[in-house]
Amino acid sequence: MGASFLKGIRVIALTWVWAGPWMGGILADMGAEVIKIETEERVDSQRIVKLGKTRWKEEDQGVNRSQFNVTNRGVKSCTLNLKQPKGVEIFKELVKISDIVITNFAPRVMPGWGLDYSTLKNVKADIIFVSLPGFGSTGPDKDYVSYASTIEAAGGLSASFGYPGEEPAVSGTYPGDPIGSMHGVVGILAALNYRDKTGKGQHVDVAQSEGVTTLIPEVIMEYVMNGGLRPRMGNRDDIMAPHGCYPCRGKDQWVAIAIGTDSEWKALCHIMGDPDWSRNPAFSDQYTRWQNQDELNKLIGGWTKDFTHYEVMHKLQNVGIAAGASLNIEELINDPHCKARGIFIEQDHPEAGKTVVYRSPWRSALTATEAPAPCLGEHNDYVFKQLLKMSDDDVARLVAEKIIY
Amino acid sequence: MFYKVLSGIKVIEFGNLISAPFCAKILADLGAEVVKIEKPHCGDDSRRQEPFLNNIPGLDRSGLFQYLNMNKLGITLNPETATGKKIFTDLLKNADIFVENNSLKKMKELELTYRYVKTINHNIIMTSITPFGQTGPYKDYRGGELVITNMGGEGYVSTREGDISKAPLKHPAHLFSFQAGLSAAAATLGALHHKNLTDSGTHLDVSEQESVIQNLNAAIPRYSYANQIVSRTDAASHAPAHILPCKDGYIYNAFSQEHQWRRFVEVMGHPDWADNELFKNAQTRAKYWDALRPLLLEWTMEHTVEEIYRRGQEGGAPVGAVRTADQVLADKQMAARGFFVDIEQKEIGKLKYPGVPYRFSEIQKKTPMAAPLLGQHNEEIYCNRLGYTKQDLNKLNEAGIT
Repeated sequence: MGASFLKGIRVIALTWVWAGPWMGGILADMGAEVIKIETEERVDSQRIVKLGKTRWKEEDQGVNRSQFNVTNRGVKSCTLNLKQPKGVEIFKELVKISDIVITNFAPRVMPGWGLDYSTLKNVKADIIFVSLPGFGSTGPDKDYVSYASTIEAAGGLSASFGYPGEEPAVSGTYPGDPIGSMHGVVGILAALNYRDKTGKGQHVDVAQSEGVTTLIPEVIMEYVMNGGLRPRMGNRDDIMAPHGCYPCRGKDQWVAIAIGTDSEWKALCHIMGDPDWSRNPAFSDQYTRWQNQDELNKLIGGWTKDFTHYEVMHKLQNVGIAAGASLNIEELINDPHCKARGIFIEQDHPEAGKTVVYRSPWRSALTATEAPAPCLGEHNDYVFKQLLKMSDDDVARLVAEKIIY
Repeated sequence: MFYKVLSGIKVIEFGNLISAPFCAKILADLGAEVVKIEKPHCGDDSRRQEPFLNNIPGLDRSGLFQYLNMNKLGITLNPETATGKKIFTDLLKNADIFVENNSLKKMKELELTYRYVKTINHNIIMTSITPFGQTGPYKDYRGGELVITNMGGEGYVSTREGDISKAPLKHPAHLFSFQAGLSAAAATLGALHHKNLTDSGTHLDVSEQESVIQNLNAAIPRYSYANQIVSRTDAASHAPAHILPCKDGYIYNAFSQEHQWRRFVEVMGHPDWADNELFKNAQTRAKYWDALRPLLLEWTMEHTVEEIYRRGQEGGAPVGAVRTADQVLADKQMAARGFFVDIEQKEIGKLKYPGVPYRFSEIQKKTPMAAPLLGQHNEEIYCNRLGYTKQDLNKLNEAGIT
């Protein structure tokens, strides 16, 4: 492997579901060696196929065709039972030869295993320990259970999300999770930079709910500055108009258009063939267009409906207007730009077969190539025999004792 | 700054609105020295965006600008002039990191693409953020929050309880533009670590569209394994998740495990209907949601958000409280962690702002500095560091260079 962001860095991951494991995925994409500690006692729920259908243990034994393979591409897996004192001892041996330990388990879990930061620091003085709990590792609500939904709600995102005049909306994808992961990665890499200069490690605690709030300051500042609650605005902007999603020719096909200046507006009118209605004084400048946007949106929809979303996008972008097709996952994976950028990659997973994964959102000479996601315990031999130098007999015994489990 | 993590690191920020300023803010929060370059006379466009203090606009009264640009030094400079370009080059010579979110076209015109910048400073880290990246057929396409939301696949699946006769729904404010800046900051910190070890810089080509695509983790395997295309009408993940109105607001329930639903049933006092076959597991509850919802509302509408949230969480059901801004600001958990901070600024006085979501155990927290007034640090940078006299600075200003 050539140069990469994090060549030579080893990360031990005690992570679960999405926000935690995706930190590992991002670090793997950056070239770090990420070893996820799993256990057959409690398999990561993302491994369980939930395409509204089967559980892999029951029906597709040995076939792991799930979200896990996207989140954890590039990551290694070993099984280790941390409920057993011997398991904890082995974990500490791993910490000795690692740089970073990451977790998104609830704050009581690692201390419960005798693995709080001060213990880890005694094992390796410069260890970097990063926790990504829902609400923080300290504070009155630290033990509350969180999912992306709860943290989006707590962070103030849900209250301002929705169509005008309607109830708060449920997100399609739970962005709270990958947002938390990226904040976690910032915390990890900040600490790594600090260690580069000072030789010191530390515990970085990243609260996911706070992470959400840092991305929507407008919501908070509206209240701080004016005592106001930012309403649910649908696709409206504070001043741009037209600004919305317009229906296109295909089924459930839409195109986003955002007009910010009079010259963009004129360019749009020209593309639409300068219809009479576009000369209505109600649409003469940004202010009046914003005031009359409901009417305006209907009229524009009357034009877009005869074209596909891609057609509208290309027509408008060619004259410098911000327009974007509303793409579904199939369209995205097959889109010529996404293909050129290499964002999606097809991997050959040993159990699941053909698997599409994605890269981190940057192109760089320092991005590493990564392997498919691991099968459960796939790297036990590598971790226990190669890294920890255990003998075959040692390992066999630990397997029998359900320590390597 | 909030934490002195990146001592001695110098950043030049040359951008506008959200993604590059937020990326640079994260570095400034972590102790890097960030010099923000703004257009003379008008500055960053976010100075003209709501909310304004007391709803009175002004260059230094925008809450968005104040938040995005705290902890930075601010200068005005026009690099489209020969002298301006020379000054820009001098600034880059001494920088470790260069963050920008201009169009590729503009950077080519200014001769400030990585190819050129590398000749000025051979091991600089240059972080470029654009809507679609600097390569590929859409590399010159315009973006903005609504466009990247939809081109990134988030629009098509939002909101999950939507029907397809309604348009795809944008998330609040500039959520995904901020997420792109956050992603760029992570990549930049990785590149900085690499530079610490090798003394080599790099170019980071960050795409806002790709940053949004990050969020499609669940949609990808459903398509690649099962040929299902997730849309606004079906669950993108395993648990039915719903926002329910209560007496004084809303709660957000997403119970991914059966025992959590059972606990919630107990919190509701185990109503008879809960034992109905129709509601026996997550799949049936999703299937018969139209029957289940009114039954749940019978109970939730009689109780406050806070009550349901506390009783739910204490009782093992991970209820979410849909908080409005005033409630987020008053949240005791965030207060205990010191999340919100007071910052004093010359024109608008002392106000509360969101802080940073990380706590470093071995580093003391510092007091953040207010965002710069337009050109506030011109004298510091031009005179004290680059050697111009005050007279020079007057002339530069009058000539539209600064």
